[in-house]
Amino acid sequence: MTADAATAAQLGLMSCEACQMLSRPAAPGEPSYCRRCGEKLEFRHHGSIQKTWALVIAAAICYIPANLLPVLKTTTLGDSEGDTILSGVAFLYATGSWPLALIVLVASVMIPLGKLVALAYLLLTVQRGSITSNHERTRLYRLVEIIGRWSMLDVFVATFTVAMVQLQPLMSVAPGAGVLFFAAVVVLTMLAAEVFDPRLIWDSAYPHPNRHG
Amino acid sequence: MADEPVLDNIPEATVVRRKRMRFSVIWIIPILAAAVAIGLAVQRALSEGPVITIVFKSAGGIEAGKTFIKYKDVRIGQVTAVTLSEDYSRVLVKAKIAKHATGLMVEDAKFWVVEPRISINGVSGLNTLLSGNYIGFQAGKSTEDQRTFSGLDDPPTIMDQPGRRFVLKANSLGSLGVGDPIYYRGILVGQVALYNLVNDGRSVEITIFINAPYDKYVSAETRFWNASGIDVSVGADGVDIRTESLAALIGGGVAFDTPAYLPPAAPAAEKAEFPIYRNRAIAMKQPDPIERRFVLYFDESVRGLSVGAPVTLYGLRVGEVAQVGLHFDTATHTFRPRVLVTFFPDQLVGRMTAKQQVENGKELLNFDTATRLKLLRQNVEEKGLRAQLKTGSYLTGELYVAFEYFPNAPKVKMDVSRDPLELPVIAGGFANIEAKLSSILTKVDNMPLNAIGTEVDAKLVPEGSKTLQDMRNAIVSADRVLKNTDATLFGKDSPAPQDLRDTLQEVTRAARSVRILVDYLERHPEMLIRGKTEEKP
Repeated sequence: MTADAATAAQLGLMSCEACQMLSRPAAPGEPSYCRRCGEKLEFRHHGSIQKTWALVIAAAICYIPANLLPVLKTTTLGDSEGDTILSGVAFLYATGSWPLALIVLVASVMIPLGKLVALAYLLLTVQRGSITSNHERTRLYRLVEIIGRWSMLDVFVATFTVAMVQLQPLMSVAPGAGVLFFAAVVVLTMLAAEVFDPRLIWDSAYPHPNRHG
Repeated sequence: MADEPVLDNIPEATVVRRKRMRFSVIWIIPILAAAVAIGLAVQRALSEGPVITIVFKSAGGIEAGKTFIKYKDVRIGQVTAVTLSEDYSRVLVKAKIAKHATGLMVEDAKFWVVEPRISINGVSGLNTLLSGNYIGFQAGKSTEDQRTFSGLDDPPTIMDQPGRRFVLKANSLGSLGVGDPIYYRGILVGQVALYNLVNDGRSVEITIFINAPYDKYVSAETRFWNASGIDVSVGADGVDIRTESLAALIGGGVAFDTPAYLPPAAPAAEKAEFPIYRNRAIAMKQPDPIERRFVLYFDESVRGLSVGAPVTLYGLRVGEVAQVGLHFDTATHTFRPRVLVTFFPDQLVGRMTAKQQVENGKELLNFDTATRLKLLRQNVEEKGLRAQLKTGSYLTGELYVAFEYFPNAPKVKMDVSRDPLELPVIAGGFANIEAKLSSILTKVDNMPLNAIGTEVDAKLVPEGSKTLQDMRNAIVSADRVLKNTDATLFGKDSPAPQDLRDTLQEVTRAARSVRILVDYLERHPEMLIRGKTEEKP
């Protein structure tokens, strides 16, 4: 794609997000649907920026308790102990397995944070009508979308452990409130990435009349 | 249809774009998330208790984030940091206390490190082997809040349980230690809480704690004694071995009881003071209300006579030895053993039958001094009442003082003016045997055994051998005579057997006649007077 090429929106056309077919919009005010696959057609996602912001903010709020509250509650002989993600990292590091600690730190702490920052960055640049580094921003968006589904690993491990380690009364593991927030962060960022319309990245460079905020 | 209205000038309706909602519904999500997060934060903030500092001598087994403070096995706090004090001499343990336990952090609350302990009285803190050490807590009674505490080195022995403290006064601590058991009739009812020297340094105060409900058995009349180890008392009464329990045997302990002969008393007050006796026998001994003291001057060794040794009358205990010492006779410049004995008239009366006790007991106990002295004088001067040292046990050489009547004893005059009264003694028991034995030995010693031996040698031996020769000759002759007799009497064809048989037959016949006569006489005794009458059929 070259910078000179007109965008679909500039030409008053809508592209189908499912089958990529270009269509002319239906009568104004009427919802348009793809002739070929029946997908709802929009120039841009309805209220994309606002919705994405809402979800990103919600995820950011959930991120705090996800890291402060214990993810797992380990009960050993009647003594129960809660472990947060960070205390787990600290424990792994202290016991010498720093590669594991690094993996957990990156996967469970930094990636969700990175996703939030990335989404916020994309939203801000779109809102400010930035026209620079559009390619990079698009790549960033793709990265966020791809990573999204893998971020649930922590939750998966936690539920797996809880199901496996039930050696009552010697030892048992119960999920903590943190894991719920952690899952919420992951789900909300995934939804945010879904709601965000990457086409907005290019709109500032190629203004068109049908712009939706 | 001709006058169709002109529609051309009717203005076109404007297309008004439907106003989109300024705020999407999706904002509910972050609001909800914020509400939950804030709610949690608020809850957390509200449940946050105070942070306290506990000063320990060492941080044995305390780890930040891993060590908990437990009260009644409930976690009430967690150690957040372990640091050294500024002068590096102590350990400062910072702990976050749960909100619900804030009220417990008062002035006299106690903290100590719980670790596994093995002592003679049992094993404690075994759970810490798995869970790690924790900080034990004991609530205080004060209402003053405090945030800095000094930790105890050892767990307080007295947990907050119902019961009462008492103070025992002793000359020395002996083998007692904090935590040592206290027994009541063999049941573990409490423990030694602490001990300290009295300010003047002359005695020891032992604070004990008796658990409820056993504390009600401690009354003003209760006696405490040391149950440490085996109590072996070897006295003139024999050997007495007692121990409360194996733990007490090794580790020491205290036992108490209230003598049965005392009327029941109200439970003693908290912190009441009691003496602690050496052993049960001493503790539980009945005090004797009336006591009379007499002094005895012996002329023999009193080794083996100890204070408390029995004083008996005809072998029954009526008193005890109060003091054993020496008396310096200024007239002769010699020493004599002086024994002070205590005589308990109650015990004397107690030995009498119930009837006699009622009839004469009162009278005996309530004599006035003059009558008593008169009676005593009568007993001593006329009946010969004397004191004597006797051996209670030949094994240990324990002595006791025995009073008995010796009518043949040399007469004495009593000096009734002295106090305590002196009673006459008589060499007795072992001393007597010893004296007799030594006199026998002296006599044996004095015998001219050597001279006798020489004389025997010189005079008796030749004579004896001659006698023996004669005797041998006599025996040979006798032998010969016997052999002849044998041949004459029992040899073949000798008349002796035949004669003997005839004689025996005669004798048998005679015996039969006699029997008939006797039978007849039995039936007819009058025959002796009247002669034999004809039997009438």
